[in-house]
Amino acid sequence: MAQIAAPPPREPVSIWRSLLGYIFDVRVIGVLGQIGFILLIVFVARAIGGNFAANAGRLGEAQFICRDGSFNYRCAYDFMESEAGFDIADAPKDYVNTDPYWRAFGIGVRNSLRVAVLGVILTAVVGTIAGIARLSNNWLISTLALWYVEITRNTPLLIQLFFVYFGVILTLPGLREAIRIPILDVYLSNRGLSIPSPQFTSSAAIWLAFLVLGVIQFQVLWIILGRREERTGRASNRVSWGIASFLIVAGLGWAVSTAVSETQGLMVTRANRIREVNDLEKMMLQRTGLNHLDDVDTLSEDELAAAEFKVCVVEDSSSETNLTRQLRRMGIPFSVNRSDRPDQATEKYAEGTCEAFAATKSVLAAERSTLEDLNSHLIIPVREIPIVWSMPTLEGLNLVGGTRLRPEYTGLLLALVIFYGGSLAEMVRAGIQSVSKGQSEAARALGLTEGQRLQLIVLPQALRVIIPPGIGVALSLAKDTSLGIAIGFPDMYAVSYTTMNQSGRVLQLFLLIMLVYMLISLVFSLLLNWYNERIKLVER
Amino acid sequence: MTTLTESISQLRGSLGRGFNWQIFLEDNITGSWLQTIWVLLLAIVTAFVAAGQFAKLPVSTIVVLIAWFVGILLVAVGALSYRHTPLSRWLKNNLLSSVSNTILTLLVVLAIVAAINGVWQWGVVNATFDSVNTAPEFQPDNGATWGVIWAARKLLMTGQLAPAVTWRLWLAIGWIAVLWALSYVTGRPSLKARLRQLRVVTNVLWVLYPLFLYIFLAGVPKADYNVSAVLIGAVLLTAVYLLLWWQKVINFSYPTLIATLVAWPVFYTIWWGIGQSEVFSPINVDTWGGLMLTLIIAASVIVLSLPLGMVLALGRQSQVYGIPVWIIWPVAIVATLYYAFTSSPALWATARNPVEQLLALWPLLILAVAYLIGRMFRGNIVSAASTTFIELIRSVPLITLLFMGIVMAPFFLAPDAITPPKPWPVIVAYTLFSSAYMAETIRGGLQAIPKGQYEAADSLGFNTLQKMRFIILPQALRIVIPPIVGQFIGAFKSSSLVSVVGLFDFMGITRSILANPQWLGLRLELYVFLAVVYFLGSSVMSAYSRRLEVRLGAGER
Repeated sequence: MAQIAAPPPREPVSIWRSLLGYIFDVRVIGVLGQIGFILLIVFVARAIGGNFAANAGRLGEAQFICRDGSFNYRCAYDFMESEAGFDIADAPKDYVNTDPYWRAFGIGVRNSLRVAVLGVILTAVVGTIAGIARLSNNWLISTLALWYVEITRNTPLLIQLFFVYFGVILTLPGLREAIRIPILDVYLSNRGLSIPSPQFTSSAAIWLAFLVLGVIQFQVLWIILGRREERTGRASNRVSWGIASFLIVAGLGWAVSTAVSETQGLMVTRANRIREVNDLEKMMLQRTGLNHLDDVDTLSEDELAAAEFKVCVVEDSSSETNLTRQLRRMGIPFSVNRSDRPDQATEKYAEGTCEAFAATKSVLAAERSTLEDLNSHLIIPVREIPIVWSMPTLEGLNLVGGTRLRPEYTGLLLALVIFYGGSLAEMVRAGIQSVSKGQSEAARALGLTEGQRLQLIVLPQALRVIIPPGIGVALSLAKDTSLGIAIGFPDMYAVSYTTMNQSGRVLQLFLLIMLVYMLISLVFSLLLNWYNERIKLVER
Repeated sequence: MTTLTESISQLRGSLGRGFNWQIFLEDNITGSWLQTIWVLLLAIVTAFVAAGQFAKLPVSTIVVLIAWFVGILLVAVGALSYRHTPLSRWLKNNLLSSVSNTILTLLVVLAIVAAINGVWQWGVVNATFDSVNTAPEFQPDNGATWGVIWAARKLLMTGQLAPAVTWRLWLAIGWIAVLWALSYVTGRPSLKARLRQLRVVTNVLWVLYPLFLYIFLAGVPKADYNVSAVLIGAVLLTAVYLLLWWQKVINFSYPTLIATLVAWPVFYTIWWGIGQSEVFSPINVDTWGGLMLTLIIAASVIVLSLPLGMVLALGRQSQVYGIPVWIIWPVAIVATLYYAFTSSPALWATARNPVEQLLALWPLLILAVAYLIGRMFRGNIVSAASTTFIELIRSVPLITLLFMGIVMAPFFLAPDAITPPKPWPVIVAYTLFSSAYMAETIRGGLQAIPKGQYEAADSLGFNTLQKMRFIILPQALRIVIPPIVGQFIGAFKSSSLVSVVGLFDFMGITRSILANPQWLGLRLELYVFLAVVYFLGSSVMSAYSRRLEVRLGAGER
């Protein structure tokens, strides 16, 4: 039998040894190393900062000069308040090149966001369609989708952008031969894409309130019917009831807002004897000598031109769309004279270029007070509906009305959507394929329809797989709007670049750009992560 | 009682005898109102497209229509007689499975025919292939002028590189071809055992290839022999060797130690000698261009971003014992108080607007950073720094970083330094960008390794370096090969962005060629060429990645 040896007596450890043991503890070494790391970072930062301070005086003397000529870092952004001096192709009407740099920069940010937001939405649509097409049981469609994905994923975005912009958009016919898609009233030409745009009149607020009401009652009805369903065990058609009641509320709101509000007006001379819009018909009959306005076509061109009701408007105002819509409906021949600002329109009205001036009542009242013989002018009410659609129409060499998306914008948007649609398609395909076949079979066995199967079984599970990489696609798309500079789209980056070239303030603008991109990235990822949190699988 | 098989065959017999229109209609058209509308819409659109096409391309449209009808006929006959031929079965399964699919097939075929016809007319029928007469007056109206690609071949491939040094580019290409051949030969299973030493030499040459490329294409300046540089380099290299040995990552042997000791001096001497001989005199790097520059940038970024990304990923995942809170907070509070009394009051007093007043409160930022480090990273500075770097870089577009590299470099370099030629800052900025993404990819691989592997390595007494080198990284990297190659492809494709910042890479030189009066009016020809080259490059890379995956994954599971 082996004897268990007694443990050797423990030797007393000297204080120095135990101290050494503490020092060579992994944790102590780690902490010391990290402190060293901080010192290294500080050292490098100081070196670079020192270089920068030395160079700031030499290379960019103007960078930090204040208005009074003194040198101070706090004046880095003062230059942004001075005149920009350059035009921006894709800017709101009221931008002029004497506006400050800040304004120009803001417009650049707005342009970037316009591309990014619409781009993400359209990419989701295109990617989903292409991803589902990849799984189509039609060999041609799936092969086509495969080639779409392969080509978009294996060539640089920049080349695709040039293809779309130079190869497609700029080779479209000119404005006069623009391709018109009939029912939608969309015009496509090498000057861009013109689409009908909604204009909100002031009664839109009332209608919107009704819409909110509609949504609320939809929810309430949904819950009530759902409870009844649970109680009785009988299915009620919640969707149809909800939509129907919502439509009723919306329709009611439309009627109410049309009846209640009268903010639109028309200024006419008292001598014309027009007291309401309907009087125009009588006036027109008198003027043309016809018995009925349907016979207007029988007039010769000169006669028609003489009889036309000439109205002045401010360009792109909802009043214009609202009035012309009514005139057209009444069959009254008219011509529109557009001005940029109300006072210009008033001037034209006063000098007799047009017989009437259409605007909101408040504008008209203000403008009327500027007229000399204000008592000889009347403001008559014009009925309005909450939303009027401004339609693009070809007038001579120009397209008026609607919203025009410039070719650069259309090109950039299209290229981004095509490129990222291809990336997203693969994610959608992988997501759908990740849902096991048994799930679909079980759904069919339960007797769900194909639509229900997709909506209730496949999509919720597929989305969990699709969303996380989809967030990456959205973020990349938002960042790649900066490629607009290659085709001359004035996004934030392009505007900053011009600003940089003009002012020489490179560092400030870079900081600004990075800040804005980070904010955009942050907002995008917060939104999408929030959505991801909502739909992701809740595990034990 | 009939058996199941019998009843089924009976059912089949009864079904086969007559074609049931009702079931057919319900399956294909009247199943739901949505289906009805969809089929009708499809039919109307297809009819319009076919009519429109017929007016333009009568012959091919008729051929397509006849083929379509024949296909339907084949499938119908096969289905009704229960005797599908291979062709009719394939048609039924893949193209003509339902009414809507049948119509869709016709629509797609018509569209494809139209597209192919358009491309054919533009690219072949109306095109010219003359590389001499490419000026605007010789360009066909509706066709391509392919000659420009041959005429501009020198620019497209090498940009503004002086013709006198083109031989050095050929040398580089020849060198890589030789290496490839060596790798191929030594990698043959039948020769692998016999040529083991040659294989080692080949691998070393591969590792050194970037250096040779640099010598060939950038050149070596004539310089004095710097003894201290030799000594410092040798000492550093040996220190790294000893460190790795101390951490038991490599085995100690005298030959390797001696090799490490002399490697740098030998290399430096050769470098110096090349400089003296002036065979490879320096080339102005700004003259690089064309496909050459694209490949150089892409390859540098790929080669550099992998190790850097690995370091960043390991940094972000590091489990180092963080700086304890009882150190962080006192330091942060003292620093905050110090700056709050020395810097803030003056700033606050001279602030001109609310924003500047807010900025005057900057010492509070120190507290915020301390809070973040303590709370989010548990005092782990390495992780905090890596994470910050990665997230900062990932939130900005590449172009911004590239511009920053070019424009800001003179600001951050020492005042007396010479501004480097454009490709260098671009490569640096691009590498930083790429490595941030690479880090995230590798982190995905690190996180995919089961915890048990880390724990097993710990319980075996491995130190951190050993654990990573022998256990974690080999597995993690294998998992992330597909995304890493995806990143490489992305780096190759996105290298075209350097043209936006004024480099004359493949894309940039193309844009300048298009602006040349000699070739005015051309565009798509070169873009098509570019797209094809990029497509081929990317496809080769992804094909290689699939092979690599198979090879490395062999024996796994």
